[in-house]
Amino acid sequence: MKTLFFRLQHRYAPYIFVAPFVILFLTFTLYPLVKSILLSFYITNGPQSQVFVGLANFRFLWTDPAFHKAVWNTCLYAFCSVFLQLPASLGLAMLLNSALVRGRNFFRFAFFSPHLVGQVFVAVLFSVIFIPKFGLLNRVLHFLFEVPVDIKWLGNPNLVMPAMVLTSLWMYVGFNMIYFLAALQAVDRELYEASMVDGAGPFRQFLHITLPGIRSVAVFVIVLSTIGSFQLFELPYVMLNNTAGPDDAGLTVVMYLYQNGFVSGDLGYASAIGWSLAFGVLLISLIQMRLSGTWKTED
Amino acid sequence: MINRFEDYFPFGKAPILILIITLLAGIFLAFNPVEKNTASLRLWTFARNHAVPYQKATPAFEAKHPGVRLDVQLVHGEAVTSRLRAAFWADLDVPDLVEVEISRAGSFFRGPVDQVGFIDLIPFLRASGMDDRIVKARLAPYTNRGRIFGLPHDVHPVMLAYRRDLFEEAGIDVESLESWEDFIREGQRLTRPGERYMIELSDNNPGHFEMFLFQRNGGYFDANGELIMDDEIALETLKFFIPLVAGPRRIGSDLGSGRVFTQAIETGYFLSFICPDWRSKLVETDIPRMAGKMALMPLPAVMPGGRRTSTWGGTMLGITSACADPEMAWEVAMHMYFDKEQLAERFRETNILPPFKDAWELPAFREPRSYWSNQSLGKLYAELAEQVPPQYTSPLIETAKTKMGGVISSCAAYYREHGEEGFDAFSRARLKEAGDEIRQYIRRNPY
Amino acid sequence: MLRKAPWQKILLYALLSWCSVLVLIPMVWLIAAVLKGPDDLFHYLFFAPLQRFSLYNCRQLFTQIPYLRFMINSFFVAGCTVMVQLFFSSLGGFALAKYSFRGKKPIMVLMLGTMMIPAQVLLAPMYELIYRMGLVDSYLGLIVPGAVNVFGMFLFRQSMLDLPDDLLQAGRIDGCTELRLYWNIVLPVSRPMIGAFCLIAFMGSWNNFLWPQIVLHTQGRFTLPIGLNQMVGLYAQDYGAMMAGTFLAVLPVVILFFLLQKEFISGLTAGAVKG
Repeated sequence: MKTLFFRLQHRYAPYIFVAPFVILFLTFTLYPLVKSILLSFYITNGPQSQVFVGLANFRFLWTDPAFHKAVWNTCLYAFCSVFLQLPASLGLAMLLNSALVRGRNFFRFAFFSPHLVGQVFVAVLFSVIFIPKFGLLNRVLHFLFEVPVDIKWLGNPNLVMPAMVLTSLWMYVGFNMIYFLAALQAVDRELYEASMVDGAGPFRQFLHITLPGIRSVAVFVIVLSTIGSFQLFELPYVMLNNTAGPDDAGLTVVMYLYQNGFVSGDLGYASAIGWSLAFGVLLISLIQMRLSGTWKTED
Repeated sequence: MINRFEDYFPFGKAPILILIITLLAGIFLAFNPVEKNTASLRLWTFARNHAVPYQKATPAFEAKHPGVRLDVQLVHGEAVTSRLRAAFWADLDVPDLVEVEISRAGSFFRGPVDQVGFIDLIPFLRASGMDDRIVKARLAPYTNRGRIFGLPHDVHPVMLAYRRDLFEEAGIDVESLESWEDFIREGQRLTRPGERYMIELSDNNPGHFEMFLFQRNGGYFDANGELIMDDEIALETLKFFIPLVAGPRRIGSDLGSGRVFTQAIETGYFLSFICPDWRSKLVETDIPRMAGKMALMPLPAVMPGGRRTSTWGGTMLGITSACADPEMAWEVAMHMYFDKEQLAERFRETNILPPFKDAWELPAFREPRSYWSNQSLGKLYAELAEQVPPQYTSPLIETAKTKMGGVISSCAAYYREHGEEGFDAFSRARLKEAGDEIRQYIRRNPY
Repeated sequence: MLRKAPWQKILLYALLSWCSVLVLIPMVWLIAAVLKGPDDLFHYLFFAPLQRFSLYNCRQLFTQIPYLRFMINSFFVAGCTVMVQLFFSSLGGFALAKYSFRGKKPIMVLMLGTMMIPAQVLLAPMYELIYRMGLVDSYLGLIVPGAVNVFGMFLFRQSMLDLPDDLLQAGRIDGCTELRLYWNIVLPVSRPMIGAFCLIAFMGSWNNFLWPQIVLHTQGRFTLPIGLNQMVGLYAQDYGAMMAGTFLAVLPVVILFFLLQKEFISGLTAGAVKG
């Protein structure tokens, strides 16, 4: 029976279904978005004291040494994330892919479990692991490699970022491995068999079968990883006890945003930083996707 | 049965589990709601050893002022700042009284002076006559553009704490260490890098360096808010300080805090360390095994007859401009900070010298302390209190400190590589570079 | 690789085991730390001898901060968030997968865009908005802004694309409203994806730090990350208790993952591998 109600609800159902998303988006994303764009043209110090400065915030960003340091730290971290973490994840995935099924679930769980721990908790845990002299890392390193015991990971400006990279390597290697594992399993085994008949060694197999086979997933993971690492904040923030570390060694762009917005109170400048970050991330993601030649059109 | 339920709730087993947990949690929370805040006044502090005495003192205050309820909340340091900021921004839920740490206080003085989130305390100070009875130098860090925005909690004079037994063993006569030259001489005699250092000094934490800077009347900013962190005094201090922590004739090193430090003191890895009054209590608690073996001496002077102390750290109490009853808030401040009866007990518990000169006469401040070889800790610190140098502040104080940390770090690295050669030029340039960066930020400030 | 010489298999297992040991060491250390007595934390590298096992750290944890309260708060907020997000995201994903309607393309572009914007940019204006709505320092203030999970919508869309259209048409012919289609047909079929989503959403809310830090003011409403961070600031030297706190905070998510492992992994990779 095609009642009016039935026809109407059939027609408008999709709109109603996406309505929650749209409403929340307009309220909690679009409105703050627009507001923060406006804010970035001001220097503020509270609701009554806003000074319009036009593009001065952005111009200052160009010469701001602290911002440069933050960008440098963040880029270094993102670079290491992509070029250290992802090969490690891929390697683990390949190992796991070829192993017998029996152990696989266990290994998968083992490698993935660090990701379950949120950034805050990882930071708390590792801040204790990194303690000089008594912490786990130094003692193990000393035991294995005779490294001096009082290396100050979080107190030495040159070691802060490496400590962060190490920690996030631990956190994310399993997460990315899952993606790679699924992608590897989707690669047709017959291709490998055929290539072995042709006399191809493992290296050639890797280059010509594996890599192209996981290509779209790899791009997805790379882009996701990059975006995520540019937003690094909680890990260094909590690990360095709510500071940026010695000589701002742990300062990331988002941390600088937070400091300016919520510690100094200049939300205008913070918004300018945020927008610069968004713009930069967008640019890099587009470049990455372009370079890998995957610009899919959906629907 | 679960399957029947699944017909009604088609999302699956996991959501069912989550739903059950949520309901249980919700029921618990419904029966244990957060207590409504019926306090007439709220005070936020960030330090446990402040909050506990205040909470203890609250009943006495409420007895004196019937009908007034005071709520003292312990809020983690960073959260105080971010919450105050967020509260100021959205103009809501601001507490009446807030304790702010000295290096953070400056950042609240941004913006037009009329819109600083704290009220000017000068009228209160004058009316109560307190302005003469507080150590003047301690008002400086909380003064901005002619208004005083915070009451100082402390004086924090600095002495050197040392292992009396080890000093005696080494044949050092503490009385003779009157100037830094004397101290360094003994230090170079006794220091064996990697095994033993004369004093704990950090080569990248600006806190230690600042102590020397302030002792010489230097600082980050002057009374007018001008940047002086790269002036001649700072340069002299830098050139004096770096050889102490880097290079072949160094006498100081640094391991970190907590357990590492405890062990270092116990084993004599550090023979002495910088000890403001608050640190002395931490030491008593964390390093109990050294009881009776530690003692305090005034800082060696820079020049004969010079200042024998400096300062490190501090806290202010401010009354926020959102407070509905500033007079009552002032009463709270008076009660918590300047009530002689409590100050005695508080000193015993925290070793922190209040900036309130009248209190120093109390017997509690004159008691000998067995931990410190029966020295009268209060008397020693009080004697130095008037000499404590003033620190001036600015909204950029934290940035300045960070930059200074970077300067110290890179100068130490340079000194290790090249020694004295070209060091003067390098440190001068590096310091100037840091100063110019801060000036860049100052110029940007439209207020 | 099907045929492998035995030595290759051994090497493989050795490598994998070695790697997983490396990865698991911090967790093992954490568990050990929870069970060590007051002075033993750094004395023994991992586990203390059995007779020195002690729950001292846990006791310290629960007496020094209202940890149980934090935990219950976290459960409540995370649970509500998951429920709400599940409903809205699956509904939205369904619409995007199985309907064509005006505005579909712009909506998808919007979704993509929001995922790239660092949330911190929106923090202050959002806070002001929440204040105007009177939701500051409340549980709703945490749940409402995050009620739709865009990533989740993508996931659901991806998995629902595969749903056979004839099934839905048959339902319509039978007189089902769209909502009933969703409720009775789509949802039961999407259970694996729902399982995956539950874990993702729960993790996200459970570990969320920055927004609750700004929104919540009274300690009685704090969630675990904020509570633990506060502990780091105030009780910095009490490593044992901090470790106990970290361990107990991680446990619920680990348990949930254990239960939902398969769904989670298939759901997570569905979007990437197929797309």
